[in-house]
Amino acid sequence: MEYSVKESKASIMDKLGILADAAKYDVACTSSGVDRKGTGDSIGNCVAAGICHSFSSDGRCISLLKILLTNHCIYDCKYCQNRCSNDIPRAVFTPEEICTLTMEFYRRNYIEGLFLSSGIMRNPSFTMELIFQTIWLLRNKYRFNGYIHVKAIPGADPRLIQQTGFLADRMSVNLELPTAEGLQALAPNKSRKTILAPMRQIQNGIQENKNDLVLYRNAPKFVAGGQSTQMIIGATPENDFHIINVAESLYQKFDLKRVFYSAFVNVTQDKALPALPGGPPLLREHRLYQADWLLRFYGFKAEELLDEKRPFFNVMLDPKEDWAVRHLEQFPVEINRAPMEKLLRVPGIGVKSAGRIVAARRCAGLTFGDLKKMGVVLKRAVFFITCSGKMMYPVKLDEDYIVRNLTDKNERIRFGADGMSYRQMSLFDDGSFTGALTVQEIMQTAVGQV
Amino acid sequence: MTVYRCDDSLESIFTAIYLSYEENRDAEDTYLALDDNPMLFAEDVRIQPDPARAVKVMRTLERRFGEDDYLKICTALASTDSEKAQAVYRTVVKGLDERCARGHLFDNLADRYVMQTFSIARKAGREIGYLREFLRFQELENGILYAKIGPKCNALTFLMPHFADRLPIENFVIYDSTRNIFGIHPARQQWYLFFGEDEEEPELRFSEEEMQYQELFRHFCRTISIKERENKKLQRNLLPLRFREYMIEF
Repeated sequence: MEYSVKESKASIMDKLGILADAAKYDVACTSSGVDRKGTGDSIGNCVAAGICHSFSSDGRCISLLKILLTNHCIYDCKYCQNRCSNDIPRAVFTPEEICTLTMEFYRRNYIEGLFLSSGIMRNPSFTMELIFQTIWLLRNKYRFNGYIHVKAIPGADPRLIQQTGFLADRMSVNLELPTAEGLQALAPNKSRKTILAPMRQIQNGIQENKNDLVLYRNAPKFVAGGQSTQMIIGATPENDFHIINVAESLYQKFDLKRVFYSAFVNVTQDKALPALPGGPPLLREHRLYQADWLLRFYGFKAEELLDEKRPFFNVMLDPKEDWAVRHLEQFPVEINRAPMEKLLRVPGIGVKSAGRIVAARRCAGLTFGDLKKMGVVLKRAVFFITCSGKMMYPVKLDEDYIVRNLTDKNERIRFGADGMSYRQMSLFDDGSFTGALTVQEIMQTAVGQV
Repeated sequence: MTVYRCDDSLESIFTAIYLSYEENRDAEDTYLALDDNPMLFAEDVRIQPDPARAVKVMRTLERRFGEDDYLKICTALASTDSEKAQAVYRTVVKGLDERCARGHLFDNLADRYVMQTFSIARKAGREIGYLREFLRFQELENGILYAKIGPKCNALTFLMPHFADRLPIENFVIYDSTRNIFGIHPARQQWYLFFGEDEEEPELRFSEEEMQYQELFRHFCRTISIKERENKKLQRNLLPLRFREYMIEF
């Protein structure tokens, strides 16, 4: 559909194009962590689970109006498309423009709130002040009660960050790269120290605010949705072990709500950056997110998942499966008795289904059929669990056997092709074997009736 | 066997549940049917929806099972599943018999009917969640926000409170085109439902700015996507095609 766009709107359209394009490599587009009812005389509320309003053609959610205040930047970070030495169109939003856009999009239910970041204009404090002005206007003049996520600019005046925190629901400071050396090589104007300082400040602010809230119930909330950060994966030579260790210490020492990983996309073609002929490392990013969930919700520790000798995640198996096949001594787990912590370590059982299992087994013994209906992925779990002492099929608790069955048909072909295999090749199942295994065949194989 | 013939409404089904207790029926030998398919050796009872009785059942359910589980039952009854009445009936009977604690009605998932109600509610709840995300308002000439949806389940009663809390100072209308119901929210007032009579959807005239904001949002959606990561299949999984008919960005 084509619509005639008026002259005044045309410039907004251009600006929105430039500044949304400049913001698209920021990953954090969640609207979660805050539950706030509407007030009756303002626009907006927040739902703790967050709401995604649309999905772009790369499958990422569009929850917030994700824009930069400006893509003018005095820094020259080699990975960033807004670096000052890059010749691209530049634009600046006025605070009023951002407020109008947010309000008009919000009342049409396009978005859940505003995500405001910015290039560094003049100096960090000047930029932070512009951001503060914008969201102050949005909250007080436009009476917006929805979700606001803003970036804290490293190096800005701490008082500005403090003030902004009382208006925003979530703040984030980008770690950019997992290690200080990487940062030094690719972002010469930034340093680990200046990045961690505001992060610590926000953490302390949240903690103090919690104490205040105990005393005064109506004290203004400071960054109620917690803080997050993100780092680029694949631009520097760190391994996965380093990265999840960094993530783990961020969760433990800085109380972060989320760490986001962003597969590196080479937009600047700088000679210091790796060429990625196979496209961005999306599988690696996916495995890191899986591991991240294991750290936060499943009680895993970074050193359990990887170690110095095996510093990268398995391409074929997800981190939980990978851990399970290396710790077969802890399996099988009895569904009707095992404690929650043990259930959570079974591949195919998530936090929700583990909770359901624990609640349901108080009333009745569970069978495999019940598990399936509850949402347990039996395809993966079946090798690791028993119901009332019995396994679903006669399964060998053997690493090779389980790995072979966990990696499905299509994957198995790749397995054989590059000569990397977990198992001895045999006459009957080589890499070109294509038929799907039936239950009967698995049983026959297991009891040796091939 | 007693068969209670209900309409597809909360009122009717709750009245049937009330009657089954009033008439002291054995739950094993009672069936709540939404259709008119005759059953052998069954005694048919047609239900006359009775608001007073339905409200009594509602109060009991909410008091005994807690608000969350009561809402889950209502969600299940909003779905289009043909067995929902029977599943809810047996779940309620079981919950009351076993004196299950507030918030624990859906613990016993090994039970057939509890599981069935649970999954019906989960499916309907998912659709309501989708609509909360994907519903799009369009501004009419007179400033009223108007949204059209075509849901499978009866989602309107769940959507209205959400949007009334969110946009209290707006006049808005949500039109359920499958059931021909309007949810109407006058600014700063209580919302209500209006059952439409004509099959025809009223003719709409949008405000001057509306098309421009639509175009702005479309432009934003196009720009925000990263070309190197394109994954239409993932997009389709997360945003099913049937919702796109009502969304302005597609």
